[in-house]
Amino acid sequence: MSLLELNGLTKLFGKLAALEDIDLKIEEGEVLSIVGPNGSGKTTLINIVSGYYRPSRGTILFNGEKISGLRPDQIASRGIVRTFQSNVLFEGATVLESMIIGSFLQYKTKDWQSIVESKAYKDDHERVVGKVIELLKTYDIFNDIFLPAAGLSHGYQRMLGIAMALIANPKVLLLDEPTTGMNHEEAMFVVENIKKISEQGVTVVLIEHNMKVVLNIATRIVVLNFGNKIADGKPEEVMNKQEVIEAYLGTETI
Amino acid sequence: MMLGRYYIDYKSVLPKVVAGVLVVLLAVFPVITTNMITLSIFISSGIWAIAVMGFTLVLRTGQFSMGQAAFMAIGGYVAAILTVKLGIPFWPSFLAAGVVSGLIALAIGVIVLSAGGIYFSIITIAFGEIVRIVALNWEAATRGASGILTLPPPPITIGNFEINFATSVVPYYYFMFLLVIMAGLVFWQIDRTRIGGTFRSVAANPMLSEHLGVHLMKYRVIAFTVAGVFTGLAGAYYVNFLSVITPLMFDLWKSIQIMMMSIVGGISSIVGGSIVGALVLYTLGNYLARLPIFNIQYLLFGAAVVLVVLFLPKGTGLVDLWGKFWHKVFREPEEYEMPEEADMAVE
Amino acid sequence: MPPAGIWVDGLVQSCIYMTMAFGMVLVFSILGILNWAHGQFYMLGAFVVYYAITAAGIPFPISLLVSGVVVGGLGMLVEKFVIERLTAPGYGMLYVTVATLALIFFFEGAAGMAFGLMDKGLATVLPGVLDVGSFSVSYQKIAVVIFTLVIMVIMYVVLNRTKVGLAIRAAAQEPVAASLYGISVGRVSLIVMGIGCALAAMAGGIMGPVHSVNPFMGRIPMIMSLLAIIIGGLGSLTGAIVGGIILGLLNSVIAYKISYFSEVVLFVLVILVLLIRPQGLFGAPAK
Repeated sequence: MSLLELNGLTKLFGKLAALEDIDLKIEEGEVLSIVGPNGSGKTTLINIVSGYYRPSRGTILFNGEKISGLRPDQIASRGIVRTFQSNVLFEGATVLESMIIGSFLQYKTKDWQSIVESKAYKDDHERVVGKVIELLKTYDIFNDIFLPAAGLSHGYQRMLGIAMALIANPKVLLLDEPTTGMNHEEAMFVVENIKKISEQGVTVVLIEHNMKVVLNIATRIVVLNFGNKIADGKPEEVMNKQEVIEAYLGTETI
Repeated sequence: MMLGRYYIDYKSVLPKVVAGVLVVLLAVFPVITTNMITLSIFISSGIWAIAVMGFTLVLRTGQFSMGQAAFMAIGGYVAAILTVKLGIPFWPSFLAAGVVSGLIALAIGVIVLSAGGIYFSIITIAFGEIVRIVALNWEAATRGASGILTLPPPPITIGNFEINFATSVVPYYYFMFLLVIMAGLVFWQIDRTRIGGTFRSVAANPMLSEHLGVHLMKYRVIAFTVAGVFTGLAGAYYVNFLSVITPLMFDLWKSIQIMMMSIVGGISSIVGGSIVGALVLYTLGNYLARLPIFNIQYLLFGAAVVLVVLFLPKGTGLVDLWGKFWHKVFREPEEYEMPEEADMAVE
Repeated sequence: MPPAGIWVDGLVQSCIYMTMAFGMVLVFSILGILNWAHGQFYMLGAFVVYYAITAAGIPFPISLLVSGVVVGGLGMLVEKFVIERLTAPGYGMLYVTVATLALIFFFEGAAGMAFGLMDKGLATVLPGVLDVGSFSVSYQKIAVVIFTLVIMVIMYVVLNRTKVGLAIRAAAQEPVAASLYGISVGRVSLIVMGIGCALAAMAGGIMGPVHSVNPFMGRIPMIMSLLAIIIGGLGSLTGAIVGGIILGLLNSVIAYKISYFSEVVLFVLVILVLLIRPQGLFGAPAK
């Protein structure tokens, strides 16, 4: 049984099919990259898997459990967490505050325990703060910990977004174009970290435009075009397929 | 500052000491003054402060409720009906008022908190109006426009000491004080711990919070319900203090005033801001109402609120002046502006 | 079937709510805020007309124009000195909301101080009734309908056939792009606020003779036009018109049928609309 299964997934906006009959099986531990020109439905796919949209047709199974139709918070708590391209921040919060607020799923103690500040909560909180600091150091934003998150450069804001997604303990991490707007160094830094994340057992689904990044880490590639899946397989096979090359003509730099 | 072998960080201690002194002064206030009007103003301000705390808590989750006075009405009528029509003693009725108010808040909240921003606010306006109209027309329960007259709670005897609500406002003052402290502790604790942070994340970026595992509706409803409980209690107590409840006492305009007290006091501090806002605006309103020039109370009240909102720096309220004051007092010499080296070199 | 008189009254109410709602939506679509004191501009307009007629002897139609100009100007002052400051980036909705709410008290207090609290009547402006078959309609009420039609036509022309109107529509739809084309959103905001308040003022002026004039007369029209906007759809001018019509007629008919809880019915209806279809009839859907 695959970790994450999309069966016949279709999303209609009025008459427009943003996604049409997508079948996709995602295996545990792989680094799957979803690529395709603009408008091919990549972000819609993430929006449906994360629970933000309901599919018009089709289902999503996670570990055999039907999750299509659940709320985003229910899906996140089951272990599927996404990052955002834009809208990554909590207004007015510092880097550290953002991480602590974003650690909602990392806490093991309940709300009432936090209100009465029980010993169990205090220990839990210390543990969480430790993890937060560790992640911030990994993503090189530790130095700006008390600065407003909105003051970070776009690249670092994106790293903060990834760090926030990670502290939510994902089993599956959906990365929505994480390297957009980054220079080569920053992009490779993200690549290194994705490799580490994958090594720790997290299944990664990477939506990307930057083919250098994709070819560097993807174990499998799925290509979307106009809402349809036109290729699915190992990077070498997929990138040489005629349809894929045609779909990309003029829209991608390799 | 050194005191013997102990280093006292006067910067953090002094403001707290002053605050503590103020609290003690408030506690012994009835000993200092027996002026019934002044005491009544403080009692009323304290009660409104509790309602304001409720508003601010709901605001923490990103919602503006323009109907909080309706919960005071609900609490007030429940307590009044239980005591006057069913003969139930005051204190259980008082608690029941809070429970009923909370349950109604829960029910309403579950239904309407999914509407966002302005839509929710308008629904709360509509809700407040519905409560008022029902109170006005459901003669059988509420006696309509004439309202219900209530009696003070019976005297409480502790040892040789009798607390008599009927003969003086002082017992009302002390119970109000207790109520404000208890409510304040609850709201303060909620606001400063993790759940307060969760509320803020729901307000600051609902979509991001949701995708990080936060069930938005749950937290909005929690805030709204807690607010409902305490606002209902406040209403019940107020009605008993004033000995009457009518449909006009807790209408839309009172809800608006609650909102104003919150913003003017300062939304950053859920307890301090609410108390400051309620005290300032209630006292102002009361003082203005007794001016000989007709109608100037509305004019000046409105003007005062507009001016405060315009001239206080973005996002702050009167309560933030407290922090600024101490910052000024403790300002280090280096913080004074020194001319830049470059500027001096020009000469 | 309620008698014709109820429908006429409903129509009159529709006209007023429609006019006020139109003004509110205009302001909302450019400034992004609800002017909670909109009803008070209605009230002030009525007072201006009252004094223009009784104290200065200015003929009714001119008084209406005067009130539009004066109160419209007042609205522009409010926009410049209060609203503009409080809608700067970073403020959020809270402060401007509280400020416009506070202005309700301010204007009512000012009017109370300046003009007194007693109801003032203007019954002699357009006396007489028109007999239509079995019932009669006062000329004043007919004037309201005609006035509204005229206003709507003028608004249509201004918005669709003039440069100013074009600027307004551009700024409402795409403020950033509009500013790139040299349209100053600040100036458009001023103009729109002026128009919106002028509309409210003239609505108040023309209603003065129908009901009486007092400082609190703006409260109910404000709430009603708010409800009209909700039903019609926040941000939609067509919605304001349709919503106004629906609400005016509904209000009149329901009040006739159930005197007690008629307002409750309206409020419940609005709550339902907000829960089920918050964008109303013509508004843009949210998510």
